[in-house]
Amino acid sequence: MIMFPLLCSVLILFVGNLALRADEPISFDRDIQPILSENCYYCHGTDPSHREGDLRLDLRDDALDTGAIVPGKPEKSELISRIHATDPDDQMPPPDSNRKLSAREKELLRRWIAEGAEYTAHWAFTSLPEASGKSIDELVEDRLAREKRRLKPKAPSHQLLRRLTFDLTGMPPTLEQIKSFDPNNPEALIDQLLASPAFGEHLATPWLDVARYADTYGFQQDRNRRVWPYRDYVVQSFNENKAFDRFIHEQVAGDLLPDATRETRIATAYSRLHQQKVEGGSVPEEFRVEYVADRVHTFGTTFLGLTMECSRCHDHKYDPTTAKDYYSLFAFFDDIDESGLYSFFNAEATPTPALSLPTPDQEQELALKMKEVEEAKAAWLASSRTSQGATPAPDYGKPVLHLDFEKEGPNGPNKPVPGTVGKAVQLTGDDAIGTKVGDFHREQPFTISLWMQTPDIKDRAVIFSRSRAWHDAASRGYELLLVNNHLRWSLIHFWPGNAISIETTETIKPGEWVHVTVSNDGSSTAAGLAIHLNGKPAEIKVVRDHLTRQIKGGGNPHIRLGERMRDRGFKDGLIDEFKVFDHQLGPREIALLHNPLAKEKAASGTSGPSTFGTEACRNLQAKRAAYNRLQESIPEIMVMEEMAKPKQAYLLKRGSYDARGEPVNPAFPAFLPDLGFQPRNRLDLARWLTHPDHPLTARVTVNRFWQTLFGRGLVGTSEDFGIQGERPEHRAVLDELAARFIANGWDTKALIKEIVMSRVYQQDSYADSLEAEQDPANRLLARGPRHRLPAEVIRDQALAASGLLVTKIGGPPVHPYDLAESFKPSNPTLGEGLYRRSLYTYWKRTGPSPAMMAFDAVKRDVCSAKRETTSTPLQALVLLNGTQFVEAARHLAETASDNHPDDLAATVRDMFLKLASREPDETELSTLQKIHAEQLLHFKNHPDETQSFLAEGHTKAKSPSPELAALTVVAQALLNLHEVNTKL
Amino acid sequence: MTPDLLNRREVLQKSALGFGSLALADLLAAERSSLGGSPKLPARAKRVIFLCQSGGPSQLDLYDPKPLLKEKHGEQLPKEVRGNQRLSTMSGNQSSIPLAGSPFQFAQHGQSGQWFSEILPHTAKIADDLCIVKNMYTEAINHGPAVTYLQTGSQIAGRPSMGAWLQYGLGSSNNNLPSFVVLTTQGKGGQPLLSRFWGSGFLPSEYQGVRFRSGKAPVLYLNNPPGVSNTSRRLLLDRLAELHQHQHGMAPEAALQDRIKQYEMAFNMQASVPEVVDLKDETEATFELYGKDSKTPGTFAANCLMARRLAERGVKFIQLYHQGWDQHGGLKGGLQKQCRETDQASAALVTDLKQRGLLEDTLVIWGGEFGRTNYSQGKLNGSNFGRDHHPRCFTMWMAGGGVKPGFSFGQTDDYGYNLVDKSGAPISPDKHKYHEDAVHIHDLQATILHLLGLDHTTLTYKFQGRHFRLTDVHGHVVTPILS
Repeated sequence: MIMFPLLCSVLILFVGNLALRADEPISFDRDIQPILSENCYYCHGTDPSHREGDLRLDLRDDALDTGAIVPGKPEKSELISRIHATDPDDQMPPPDSNRKLSAREKELLRRWIAEGAEYTAHWAFTSLPEASGKSIDELVEDRLAREKRRLKPKAPSHQLLRRLTFDLTGMPPTLEQIKSFDPNNPEALIDQLLASPAFGEHLATPWLDVARYADTYGFQQDRNRRVWPYRDYVVQSFNENKAFDRFIHEQVAGDLLPDATRETRIATAYSRLHQQKVEGGSVPEEFRVEYVADRVHTFGTTFLGLTMECSRCHDHKYDPTTAKDYYSLFAFFDDIDESGLYSFFNAEATPTPALSLPTPDQEQELALKMKEVEEAKAAWLASSRTSQGATPAPDYGKPVLHLDFEKEGPNGPNKPVPGTVGKAVQLTGDDAIGTKVGDFHREQPFTISLWMQTPDIKDRAVIFSRSRAWHDAASRGYELLLVNNHLRWSLIHFWPGNAISIETTETIKPGEWVHVTVSNDGSSTAAGLAIHLNGKPAEIKVVRDHLTRQIKGGGNPHIRLGERMRDRGFKDGLIDEFKVFDHQLGPREIALLHNPLAKEKAASGTSGPSTFGTEACRNLQAKRAAYNRLQESIPEIMVMEEMAKPKQAYLLKRGSYDARGEPVNPAFPAFLPDLGFQPRNRLDLARWLTHPDHPLTARVTVNRFWQTLFGRGLVGTSEDFGIQGERPEHRAVLDELAARFIANGWDTKALIKEIVMSRVYQQDSYADSLEAEQDPANRLLARGPRHRLPAEVIRDQALAASGLLVTKIGGPPVHPYDLAESFKPSNPTLGEGLYRRSLYTYWKRTGPSPAMMAFDAVKRDVCSAKRETTSTPLQALVLLNGTQFVEAARHLAETASDNHPDDLAATVRDMFLKLASREPDETELSTLQKIHAEQLLHFKNHPDETQSFLAEGHTKAKSPSPELAALTVVAQALLNLHEVNTKL
Repeated sequence: MTPDLLNRREVLQKSALGFGSLALADLLAAERSSLGGSPKLPARAKRVIFLCQSGGPSQLDLYDPKPLLKEKHGEQLPKEVRGNQRLSTMSGNQSSIPLAGSPFQFAQHGQSGQWFSEILPHTAKIADDLCIVKNMYTEAINHGPAVTYLQTGSQIAGRPSMGAWLQYGLGSSNNNLPSFVVLTTQGKGGQPLLSRFWGSGFLPSEYQGVRFRSGKAPVLYLNNPPGVSNTSRRLLLDRLAELHQHQHGMAPEAALQDRIKQYEMAFNMQASVPEVVDLKDETEATFELYGKDSKTPGTFAANCLMARRLAERGVKFIQLYHQGWDQHGGLKGGLQKQCRETDQASAALVTDLKQRGLLEDTLVIWGGEFGRTNYSQGKLNGSNFGRDHHPRCFTMWMAGGGVKPGFSFGQTDDYGYNLVDKSGAPISPDKHKYHEDAVHIHDLQATILHLLGLDHTTLTYKFQGRHFRLTDVHGHVVTPILS
């Protein structure tokens, strides 16, 4: 642990070099605020709940009023005497805070007070200055001149070429590009790369890290979900160079845009890609809040570069974001009809809200089938009108089930009690009474009637259901509930977003028998549901009216009375005369069911269509079935869809879902300008973000593109533009590019082109030991970008250079070899799936591609704005021993030797050129030939090793030989070269 | 040495202590953002072996006997005992909540007289080596969040695991083995294990745990491809090093030097990992001690034995996972089976470490993510019943480095439902409301760090502008259990 102090000293030296020179005036924002924020604001900052001694140092007036700071008079400022105090009671920061000021920091504070102790606003929260028109090169050179430094010369040709193809497409240069590249005129190549479909694929990866894109739900069970259309949307958006503000609008509010399309709705999956929960016993509200919180965090990091998490439990200690700001943003993202859990028993159900994605053919077919349904419905209505006069008396037909509860046997621990006719049953609430009927499709008209009596007011109780479970099945099926003694009758695919449900406005009185009839007409609409009380239609309100998928499935195919898994049963409730009809009864029949003696009277009453058994009725049901089955077969994707009536959001105390405080409404963080917007919904939020005067969005976006190209943002903390974030060494560059980005209509390709055309980007990246020591992170930009290639690019390069790459764009995820070695293994996709770009690799959160993880891919559990770059022996093992890389090496060797039969030197040169984009020098060539000679000798002596080595991978070697094995090892050496895996 | 005199190479050498390394620039950035390392306390332990019992072992049937529950078997849980604690939604809507006495007999063992259930005969024999903590509690009520909480200090995924924090704080002392190794029992069902339990969260990924798989390749792609012998590989690596040296000669560079080193380490690992997982040099007496399962790779017993071998070779944090402790039903048979799989080997590990003089600086921990309810989930049919999750109290034990042997800490009420203080009065602490007679999982984490010489309040990492800790803003070292 000796290394910590040493490194720290180096660093202070470095910071001192870059941040401040003796002849420069002190900048509060650059030099002072970071010291105060790091050491003082925790107790003397924005958070009132944690403030000590009633002192704020983040506001100048407060600091002056208390005498902590006396401008121009450091010797009279309490702050200065306290930071120099040696008495532990007076010393600041206090000894137990684990914070300590260096001598340099103390001196800076003294100088700042001596110079007048001016406060300035945090740079990132101030408006962008107007574009000056200065180029990146001019701005960087201005800054370097102050350090008496200059840009380096242009990078060597092959390095520049590689830099461009890797940065713009994630691919190594092709032989054609190597031949034709002119470093003095790279523009043609740059344009070509920007126009290549590989551009969008490459740019998508960092965006998918931010959007926490994954092919599984995450958390514990981590099942598959079908969200890849969103990934393809991102690729396509970059490829068509969609204006970035539009890209933002679509993802934040694609459902609310006046010109919303299917594409813009798919884009809103951005807000649904967080992890989702299915574990039994979870509290749905807890996780719903967690989902919304994740949307807020992701939104904050993606667009504002702000760490919203800190404000979830209390006002931010460093930044001006308050808990109220947090929950005001929360209020934008909670207005969708969702559950906090997805369905354990119906894993195929898409958590609502969901968007159906029919193909054009399916769309046509749906329209056709809907027309047939309409025609069948008209025919049925017509036939029932003509037949009405012909029906002399109501007849409710024979029930498919009638439980009279006269016998005790089948009812388990539920007790017999006096009923309306003979005996009834009293339910324990824990023991269901099973039946053998009720496995209905939603188009099946049916009616269920019963006598019931509740002993008390129940906030929730299941009278009966056809359903496996409550949350664990998203209530799939149908159910009659008591909800605060209102009767609620529902048909459900996935509660709450895909269901039809109605509820009585009146309540059931405890201790009184009531006759209840509920029915479904098969139309999949709330209007097709009915509740009758004591033979009369009940006044109802519609609770949900959106049912587009099946209600069958999930287990427990039959009706069960009085109890449901992990739900509240009908404890001590009474039920009698339970009848199920597999057709819909009209009002006259229902009246008769309630009171058989009223036959005469009912017969003279009014009636709707008489409904069962007719040809027209059967035909309508058949047409609906055909439509429904097709509709149910079409894949869906989770999206955002604003509810008609927004949910009320609350400030949650300490961030806890069950500790609601004051109600809050959608609002922008108060410390940022509202730019003239009245915030109501996500569309306002999206438009506010991209308003030309918004201080953060463009800066944060440009910085992340810069990071993709340079390996490090102009602001190194690309996830944090707040007070605790890094101050950009080249703020002028960031501000200029951001201002121009907005002025140019958020043109991503133009921005990227400008950067890669600059001399700053194209300069040599090599740092000698002094330069590396003075500026290890290259904050000054006195050299070009240089870093290890990202995980995806390392694998894609091996595939591309070896000729194995399959360049198909988009579609379902694929499973390359290493997924078989994952913590949650899956079988490799045989065939082309093994050779697609890594972007398409199946991303399972609890067991992502281990090869990608070895090279620092993030898990995508949560939003991630940047990846670390580490170096471990595990990486060497992947490159040396991974099936993908061994197979690629063999393929590379085969192709090269086919191109140059009997010419070893030419073969080796060919391979070298494909991987390193340059010719090997004499020493390299000779070493590589030595590898070949040694390995050839070895494999000749071990023919069995030759065979098995060359059999690795799904493709077959055309002619396995010791020569090919030896050449494959040469290719392996090349695949493991530092320069091949590094962007130089 | 003054900063000016420090050259780049020295910086690199100093930083090259670990198993992996962060790119230099990132390393510097990371160090700037940390508080400069934590003041080191005297370490009582050099390594930890954490026997994670996934699913939530029932304290009421293993370590914390409650005769009252046997008396009141089948009666309803009194409202005043339950209070307003939340229940899992698995049993929270049950109409009836019947108390359930343990189907097992308890007895006192050793000079210390600690209580053990009859299904822990081997653990009972090491009673005098164990420090049994009966007043553990957590807020999490379901497995995913609870294990994540125990291992990372947060219920929601994304934070570094305890092992990653320890690596970050302590560094590595063996270049040929990872310093954080995870072993899981094979073929167990139950609640899923997730790689985030040993992940590095926002810490650099080199700090994540390396799970040794049972079978031929304990580490991803550890083995040469088929047909590649060690001879052939050595020849290749020597030439690869030559190529790299040649390039380094033309343009010296830290990252390149680092790569040369990583390839050597990879080669060494190819020898050292198979050596540590190969148990053939163990004696029959050792296998007997750990039980007959210990000869079958992937069993908990074999993993316990491997844990000792890893400890001997300087691995700092060794974590075993054994699933299957989630007895919502069929508790009696289920627990008997779990104990048959784990009891003997857990005790053997402590005994073996002790015999070899390793126990005094090795901290062994046994426990799960929460406890189980004193009432039956679902129906109570005689002794055939199950227990739901119970975060309000549960039991863990520790042994070795720095904890009191033969000691029992903390108490629960006669119903085994709530924690009580020394006088027996019920207490309801939470992470915001510390109580000295209760051990929150943050307290456990603070104590583990303390025993390894790390102060949980100063071992921080700055991420997204905030200094993060394993214990968030909570946690107290549990001093009464320290020896």
